[in-house]
Amino acid sequence: MENVIELRNVNKIFDSFRLNDISLTVKKGFVTGFIGGNGVGKSTTIKLIMNLLQPDSGSVSVFGLNYKEHEKEIKQRIGFVFDENVFYENLTLAEMKQIIKPAYSNWDDNLFHHYVKTFELPLKKKIKQFSKGMMMKASLTMALSHHAELIIMDEPTSGLDPIFRRELLEILHQLMEDENKTIFFSTHITTDLDRIADYIAFIHNGELVFTKEIYQIEEEYAIVKGGKELLDRDTEQEFIGIRKSNHGFEALTANKSRIENIFGEMVVIEKPTLEDIMFYTKKGAERFV
Amino acid sequence: MDISSIWLGFLFCIIVIMNAFTVDEKSSISNFLNSLPYTRKEIVSSKYIGAIIFTFMIIFALFMGNFIINKELIDWKEILLVVCLVLIFVSFSFPFSYKFKSQYLLMGFAIMFVAFMAIGNFVLPKIGPMLDTMNLGEKVEWFAQKLFSLQDVQLYGLIAIVNIVLYACSWLLSIRIYSKKVF
Repeated sequence: MENVIELRNVNKIFDSFRLNDISLTVKKGFVTGFIGGNGVGKSTTIKLIMNLLQPDSGSVSVFGLNYKEHEKEIKQRIGFVFDENVFYENLTLAEMKQIIKPAYSNWDDNLFHHYVKTFELPLKKKIKQFSKGMMMKASLTMALSHHAELIIMDEPTSGLDPIFRRELLEILHQLMEDENKTIFFSTHITTDLDRIADYIAFIHNGELVFTKEIYQIEEEYAIVKGGKELLDRDTEQEFIGIRKSNHGFEALTANKSRIENIFGEMVVIEKPTLEDIMFYTKKGAERFV
Repeated sequence: MDISSIWLGFLFCIIVIMNAFTVDEKSSISNFLNSLPYTRKEIVSSKYIGAIIFTFMIIFALFMGNFIINKELIDWKEILLVVCLVLIFVSFSFPFSYKFKSQYLLMGFAIMFVAFMAIGNFVLPKIGPMLDTMNLGEKVEWFAQKLFSLQDVQLYGLIAIVNIVLYACSWLLSIRIYSKKVF
C-alpha cells in the first residue's frame, strides 16, 4: 500500500504559531480525514501539501515526487477543492472551463458534462450568483474532470446545509469505488468523518496526535463514566482528559482494555465520538498548562 | 504631438493592465492559480506578456478610432512614446505590487514624489559645490551633447533598448519575489 502524501518531520514556524515535527502519511485508495479545532494547523498543513508554503525543515512528497523538481507533474494529478469561492466571479461556469481546460493534459470534457448534469449546475450563470452548495459542486466538478488521482479538500462541508452535506458525502463515497482515487480532507465537522473516513489524522496545537484507522479508534479509545470517588492521583493519570460534575466524572482514555481491567464493573464504558476525542484532548492539554 | 492623446493612451493602458493585475491578487484567486499546474514563473510571466498585449490592443483601438473618426493617422513617435511610458510604469509597479500589494502603489508613488522633491530642494544645492570640483558638469555636458547629436532613429532605438532592458529586469525581479512568496 503506497503513500500518496508523505510529510516527514516537517517544521514550520510563524510568529504566533508553529507546526512541530509533523510526520503524516496518506494512503492510496482511502479517505483520510484531517481533524482539529480552529487554528491548530490544518490549513497550514494543507498549504504545505499544496506547496503554497515551504517547510522550514523536513520534506513533503506527493506521489513519491517532490515539489522542487516535479511541481507541474504533481499538480496535474491533484484536484483541489476549497471552502471559499475560487473562481472569477463575473465569469460563467462554461467560461471558467475554457480557462481551466488547457491547463490539464488529462482534461475530459465528457466527464465534465457528466458532472454538470449530475450536479445540475447552470453553465451560463455568473459564478457570483451561485449558492454555496453550487459553488462547492462546481469546485468539485473542476477537480474531478481532469481524472485527478488525489483530491484534497479544505473544509468542504462548512457552511453547507445538512442535507447537502450528506449528498456530498454520498458523491465522495461513489467516487471511492475507483480504487485508484485518494481523498484527503480537513474538517471540524466530525459527523461527516464518521460517515466516510477510513483513516483519521488528528492535529492539535501544531502537533499530530495520531493517524489511525477509524475502527482502531473505536477499539482503543473510550468514554468512561463513573462516580467521583473512583478518582485519585493515580487513576487520573490514566485518562487523557476529565470532566467532573456533581454527579460524577466523564473522561476519555486511549486504552480501553486497561481501564476495563482497573475499574471493571464500577464504570460505564462508551464508544467515543470524534468530537469527544477532540474535546478531551484539548481539556487534557489545558490541565498541564 | 498632442499631449492629451498621449496621456489618454497611457491612462487607458495602465487602467486595464493594473485591473487585470489586482483581480488576480485576491487570496481566493491566487490560491486557485497556484493550485493549477503552472509554475510561479509562468504566473508572473503571463502578467508581463499580458501587459504588452493589452497595450498594443488599446493603441490599435485608439489608432483605428482616430483614423475612422478624425480621418488622420497617429504619428509613430506618439505610439512609441505611449508604449515606452507604459512599459516604464509596469516595470516599476509590478515588482512593487508583488512585494507590497498593489493597494500601496499609490502610497508608494506619493512617497517617491516627496522624496524627489526633498532631494531636489535640499540635497542637491548642498552637494552642488562638491560636484563642481569633480568636473561633473563637464561630463554631463559631454553626455548631453552626444545624446542630442544622435540621429532620430538612433535616439529612439536607444530609448527602446533601455525600455526593453528595464522591462526584462523588472520581469526577472518579479519572478524572484513571487517565487519566494508565502501564502
